[in-house]
Amino acid sequence: MIKKTFKIPDMTCSNCAMKLESLEDSLDGVKEINASYHRLEMVIEYDESKLNDEQIVAAVRKKGYQAEII
Amino acid sequence: MQKQKNKPIDPVVIVMLGVVFVAIAVAMIAFQPNSNSINIAAGAGTLSQLLVAFVTGITTGGLSCLAVQGGLLASSLAHQIEQDYVEHAAKNKKVKTAPRSNSALPIALFLLAKLVAYTLLGALLGWLGSYLTLSPLTRAFLMIAIGIFMIGNALRMFNVHPIFRYFSIEPPKFITRYIRRTAKGTDTATPIFLGLLTVFIPCGVTQAMMATALGTGSIAMGAALMFAFTLGTSPVFFIIAYLTTELGSRLEKFFMRFVAVLVLILGFVTLDGGLNLMGSPFSLQNLTLRLTAQGAARNWFPSESIASAQTDSSQPSADGSITLQVQNSGYFPTTLKAPADKDFTLNLVTNQTYSCARDFVIPALNFYELLPDTGTVQVNIPAQKAGSTLFFTCSMGMYTGQIVFE
Repeated sequence: MIKKTFKIPDMTCSNCAMKLESLEDSLDGVKEINASYHRLEMVIEYDESKLNDEQIVAAVRKKGYQAEII
Repeated sequence: MQKQKNKPIDPVVIVMLGVVFVAIAVAMIAFQPNSNSINIAAGAGTLSQLLVAFVTGITTGGLSCLAVQGGLLASSLAHQIEQDYVEHAAKNKKVKTAPRSNSALPIALFLLAKLVAYTLLGALLGWLGSYLTLSPLTRAFLMIAIGIFMIGNALRMFNVHPIFRYFSIEPPKFITRYIRRTAKGTDTATPIFLGLLTVFIPCGVTQAMMATALGTGSIAMGAALMFAFTLGTSPVFFIIAYLTTELGSRLEKFFMRFVAVLVLILGFVTLDGGLNLMGSPFSLQNLTLRLTAQGAARNWFPSESIASAQTDSSQPSADGSITLQVQNSGYFPTTLKAPADKDFTLNLVTNQTYSCARDFVIPALNFYELLPDTGTVQVNIPAQKAGSTLFFTCSMGMYTGQIVFE
């Protein structure tokens, strides 16, 4: 398991954080996601053998946001 | 091949249901029994308080709440729409027509459950408030805090500075996670359950209304206030649910700007009300009062109508008492003149007055009384120095006036 932080600059409210955290249920290999509108960040803990950064960024983009690794 | 556009929600159904909600609300307010029938610890003005709550709901509340709870409703609807589409495709493999969605029912159930939940929450807050005696000063601080909170939220929506993001309250993770997972259900109970759960993720305006419900100190009034407010938010939820699913994020952004402007205005109004309730000479209304009174005295405003409406028309009577008319639309005259260094009696006269003007407060004297709807209450005003001013207001900080000592 690995933990990474992504910057999500275009979150507009706490509901956005909720939307991003819903990736927990749809992305295979994710253990936990904690998104914060206050910090415009998303901390994701995942199994690197099943998931990579590009897949995470793509999944975030599908939700309507841009993601950059910090 | 003709491209089929998926119409997930019938706008006619949405608008019609919205109109029904508004009609129910208007009927509820129009046939409100005499305000005396509801015991409101915080005072009078049942009708105006409910009306303000409803209007707040239909304007700022609905739009603001949607920013927090809309995703929940949309995700629930999306699932319903998706299911409708799959069922439709299975039944009509050859005929390429757009599916009829059953979205109106889950929306109605969601909003009905939300209405029930917030009414119960209002009753609970009113009950809690009955154990807390909120003095006018405490309420003033509460209103100022709410006003600052709303202004901060509006500035956050305008993205003025990152610091304003902290004005948005993030619900605990375990609650959002639980709600999110529940949102995946498909049965009828799911939208009901989700509607009930919205009490855990209230928006800024709802939180402000919750504080007001707490301030009523009455189970009935707390429940009625939250009911009126939530009912007001319902038509907006219906309409925006359609807009967000049908017209996309561009219009949503426009609406969020609109919300920000309204929240900003309401924030300043609440802040000003709080300052009035504190008896601050720096509230917008008290500044205006002072300017118009000075202007009339110096003939800055020669118009007879302004002068007669705003300044002293009641001189002390033979026994030295001064009369203030407490009417549904405020206090008349708004500026009283009284002799300095001398006690006097202020007669507060009401005549079928049911607005919050009845809930009379003189902050500097820590005087607070709920006046009868018709009658006269005498207040002894202690001697004040020449040139000083005593401000008076209603308990909501809406109607104000002043006594100038000379």
